[in-house]
Amino acid sequence: MIRLNLFHKLRAFPGLEYLLAILMTGIFTLLVLPFRSDGGQDHTILSLLYLLPVVLSSVLWGLGPGALAAIASFLALNYFFVPPYYTLLVHRTQDFLVLIVFLGVSIVIGQLVGRVSKSLSETTAREYEATHLYELIMRLAGMQDEQEIVSALAEQALITLHAERVDVLVEAQGGFPARQVRLEDRSQIDVEVASTPTRIAPLQSTRGFLGEIKVWRGDSRLSPAEERLLNTFASQGVLALERVRLSQTASRARLLEDSDKFKSSLLSSVSHELRTPLATIKAAVTSLRSGTVEWDTDARVDLLAAVEEETDHLNLLVGNLLNMSRIEAGALKPERGWNSLAEIVSTALDRTRQQTEKHKLEVDVSPDLPLVPVDYFQIEQVFINLISNSTKYSPEGTAITIYASHLVDENVLKVMVSNQGPHVAPENLERIFDKFYRVTAADRVTGAGLGLSICKGIIEAHGGRIWAQNLDKGFAFNLTLPLSWEGFAHRSMKEVMDE
Amino acid sequence: MNAQPHILVIDDEAQILRALRTILTAKQFKVSVASRGEEGLTLAAAQPPDLVILDLSLPDMDGVEVCARLREWTQVPIIILSVRESERDKVIALDKGADDYLTKPFGIEELLARIRVALRHSAQTLGTQKSQIIDAGSIVIDLALHTVTREGEEIKMTATEFKLLAYLAANAGRVLTNRSILSHVWDPSEADRVEYLRVYIRQLRKKLEEDPDHPCIIRNEPGIGYRFMTDE
Repeated sequence: MIRLNLFHKLRAFPGLEYLLAILMTGIFTLLVLPFRSDGGQDHTILSLLYLLPVVLSSVLWGLGPGALAAIASFLALNYFFVPPYYTLLVHRTQDFLVLIVFLGVSIVIGQLVGRVSKSLSETTAREYEATHLYELIMRLAGMQDEQEIVSALAEQALITLHAERVDVLVEAQGGFPARQVRLEDRSQIDVEVASTPTRIAPLQSTRGFLGEIKVWRGDSRLSPAEERLLNTFASQGVLALERVRLSQTASRARLLEDSDKFKSSLLSSVSHELRTPLATIKAAVTSLRSGTVEWDTDARVDLLAAVEEETDHLNLLVGNLLNMSRIEAGALKPERGWNSLAEIVSTALDRTRQQTEKHKLEVDVSPDLPLVPVDYFQIEQVFINLISNSTKYSPEGTAITIYASHLVDENVLKVMVSNQGPHVAPENLERIFDKFYRVTAADRVTGAGLGLSICKGIIEAHGGRIWAQNLDKGFAFNLTLPLSWEGFAHRSMKEVMDE
Repeated sequence: MNAQPHILVIDDEAQILRALRTILTAKQFKVSVASRGEEGLTLAAAQPPDLVILDLSLPDMDGVEVCARLREWTQVPIIILSVRESERDKVIALDKGADDYLTKPFGIEELLARIRVALRHSAQTLGTQKSQIIDAGSIVIDLALHTVTREGEEIKMTATEFKLLAYLAANAGRVLTNRSILSHVWDPSEADRVEYLRVYIRQLRKKLEEDPDHPCIIRNEPGIGYRFMTDE
């Protein structure tokens, strides 16, 4: 940084470089002067040595100072080393020739070297620009977040322009919040930053002013190349911001459309689904109330059982609807606590007792499995839905099995709920978790087609996975639940006991 | 207690009030009803009931607050009614002093059983003649002697296991929240360490239950806590 500061300061005085060229020639002369022999025959070799300050000046300070050094060297050579000394007079023709040739050669070499070095430094500068621009573009390319873009822009500008401080401001507009990032160079923390920025580049899009980039860099101005680079940064930033905004607007529109479609299919599905149990209840209750028929005890018990079953069914449906709307609204947040999977499964079985009466249940969920950090009610709902789905699609009298195991390597609990129902075509194995999707014709099996999509929503909110699988004899749902979660480090039962 | 216990029902749904009034009156209870929280509190003060059935969602105030305001001056048993979607409120109400809960829709047999347990428990508290010996199936717990026996044979327990069992058994029939168990048996600072409870409950069940995987003595109250079941 110190080197750079000096460099910037030199730029502030353009005449200084010429002065330095003369100074260098002078110092060189002083160094060589003591070795001057009295014969005066060494000026041909000296004229070669004098090429040194000329070349150095050209390399260090450019073409003009190089040319000046050539002339100064010519004069110094003439004045100090060509007899008669301390005059610009030349007596011998060959000395005169040497001097003229020296002048010509030194100017030409100086100009050549100067040009090469100038174009070299230009190339380096361009490469520097290109590298930083490329870096910025690469960084911006993958970004989907406005704040990230703004930060990347500020960071890249700070590094590339060696600035003391960079502010990137994006104004709030059309539902997109304002963004602001300020970055400062840590190594210059003690430097007092001026109140007005060195340079402001607007973030100007085709549709209007988005914001600006402010750059502070002590008292040195930006070079034209740096200005150009800053403006390119700004336009790349604008492109990235617009891209993100466009894609957000598009996905919002798509969400709205989806949610609209979802609501209308939900309504049609639900109204059908609610009416069926209501019809049963209404029929049973009106039969019992009407005085025209004398019901015997068995018939009364049957009718009343139907009413109770259907109310449970309605209750389950309402629970699913609520969960579905929470999943849709993105509001399904598991309230995690340490729970025993065995307890969850056992209450789910209690709640589905009536539905599973006609199936054989085989449950192997050991209470000694590790505790799992989940929302009790949500996971219970998953099991209720899976069990309920299994009873609907598998023949009466067949077995439904629930098997849970601890996969130590993956640090998850894996559960398989299997039944002896029919296979599902492989291409539909994923689709059965879609909303409103039903494998068989709607009139054969009751259900709104919500149960499995709710399972998927809940399991995924828990960081687990759920998938369906055809077995040799039957069909299975598999799911995994992670045993650790933020703030819930997995511990075995034994570790808890020992504590 | 009167021959006809007085039950106050606070619920804003007219159908529920109607149904409960009809059913409870038929079961020989004296029933008064309120459809708002303030009204319920006034009624309770004017004519102290033997038991309160309280809905958590009321139009004028939070059921949890009604519960807290009642607890300022009375130990009357409170049974909470709530829908399944408000589990957290239910736990808060139980921690704030409610005695039991029922999830709507509920079966009337369940409600009557809860009312019986709550009334019996409050009678015991009033009489301070708590039984020192508790029967649960073939298990007998002697709170004074610190012993647990199955058919006369002693079951060995660690100190923590016994403390936990004693707390559950002393509140037989009532729901106990995880928090209340943890703060009584362990320490209030450990009230959130549900994993302790899960592990010790598992240990107790292995020692007490005939089939630990299908517990009959220490029952789960999903998402809330546990309930110790006696023979009744």
